[in-house]
Amino acid sequence: MPETEYSVILHDVVQSFRRIKERPDTLREVFARIRHRHKRYEDFEAVKNVSFAISRGEMVGLIGRNGSGKSTLLKIIAGVYSPTSGEVIVNGTIAPLIELGAGFHHELTGRENILLNGLLLGLTKREVREREARIIEFAELGDFIDSPIKQYSSGMYMRLAFSVAIEVEPDILIIDEILGVGDVGFQQKSFERIQQFRDAGKTIVFVSHAMENVRNLCDRALLLHNGRLVQDGTPSDVIARYRELLGQRVAEPARR
Amino acid sequence: MIEFVRECYRYRELIWALAMKELRVRYKRSVLGFIWALLNPALLMLVLTLVFGALMRFSVPHYSIFLLSMLLPWTFFSQSLSYSVESIVSNGELLKKVRVARLIFPVAALVSNIINFLLSMIPLFLLVIGLRFPVHWTWIYLPIPMLGLFLFTLGVAFFLATANVFYRDVSHIIQVVLSAWFYFCPIIYSLDFVPARYRWFFRLNPLVYVLNGFRLSIYYGLLPSWQSAVLSLASGVGALALGFAVFRRYEKSFVYYV
Repeated sequence: MPETEYSVILHDVVQSFRRIKERPDTLREVFARIRHRHKRYEDFEAVKNVSFAISRGEMVGLIGRNGSGKSTLLKIIAGVYSPTSGEVIVNGTIAPLIELGAGFHHELTGRENILLNGLLLGLTKREVREREARIIEFAELGDFIDSPIKQYSSGMYMRLAFSVAIEVEPDILIIDEILGVGDVGFQQKSFERIQQFRDAGKTIVFVSHAMENVRNLCDRALLLHNGRLVQDGTPSDVIARYRELLGQRVAEPARR
Repeated sequence: MIEFVRECYRYRELIWALAMKELRVRYKRSVLGFIWALLNPALLMLVLTLVFGALMRFSVPHYSIFLLSMLLPWTFFSQSLSYSVESIVSNGELLKKVRVARLIFPVAALVSNIINFLLSMIPLFLLVIGLRFPVHWTWIYLPIPMLGLFLFTLGVAFFLATANVFYRDVSHIIQVVLSAWFYFCPIIYSLDFVPARYRWFFRLNPLVYVLNGFRLSIYYGLLPSWQSAVLSLASGVGALALGFAVFRRYEKSFVYYV
């Protein structure tokens, strides 16, 4: 199969971090460390030898407990981290809806932030201008668009951030647990937008703890546990396995 | 180097937007807004002219222009560094969230300071006219020392921004280094006042060549010797090549340390 049929390919990817026990932030600490020769950090692998391929147009759910490596994996796909070893191939543009509002500045107005955020997500100035009206409409901001965003309510802030990211119209959309943005009406609208996106044949990687969303939306699910990919299959199978894992955790204290 | 130019061109809109953001944030919520970029150097010049014109008299005629011709580029240099040394660390949250070319941050910090610097040349020009000081034709030579200054500053900025990611001490140390460096540049005095046997020391300071072009063309109305012009551009290009190489070498690990 030609590679272009895949949007994302990960091959034997390892991401290790230096977990700092005490951080040598200053030179004094560096000198102290040289004198005493003690190790202040240890390496730990957040993602261990993960391989998978996501086809174009697939919607894949990534599930697992807290700290299982889901967000790290998303950041690897988004290109924020360069993995310690292994290979990552991404075909197409990516918009990460990982943490919304990256690069928003509180003193700037909504409109100014749309431009800045859009440019950061890889659009050109012209593309941002073309999308501006749609972004403002989708975010339901009305007159507030020309006020500094520090005056926004947290809901308005998140709606604006979500709207910018979704209107970037990337080939690959990465979503990290953000469907809780805004009120019920806005959530519904976001949901519909994501479904439109899927119907348009775009690839979506989706992290969620809400199993019904994974079951209803995704074509396929991946289960991560302690940094390893433990199951890859249909959402219902993978969710069942995840429930087993959760059950074990609940049972653990009883066994001790 | 080619890589550097290509990336700057590719991200020109983003760099510009970030630079404008920095300026806008700097002057936001002040009544006079952008006018401060002109007013600030103008008021400084007024103070200096009064102090050195009326209170303290030096053997240097029109000392205020003598001083400002170098003080303004110096202020640009030191302010740009104070800004850009933090440019990666202060955008750390952003680096952790989206994939973005890291070089845009130091470059945008520089661009915003360039705009400030160019604006500050306007009151200087007005002062020259106001004091009936001759406006030398050599003003048109200024783009050359400016280019040298901008490249040199950016090179140092790349280096400092990188170092500051790993050791936050850098942003404190640089303040001390800058204030010492200030006195080792012939800004408030002339190199002629320095005994001949110490002058070799000043020749080691690449910034002297860069700054000298400003004073020669604004104050003396002379062009620098071609050697000194070449040296000032060469120190700019050299500093940038070196600083950018260091930045490139470490930029991938920034995200783990910010």
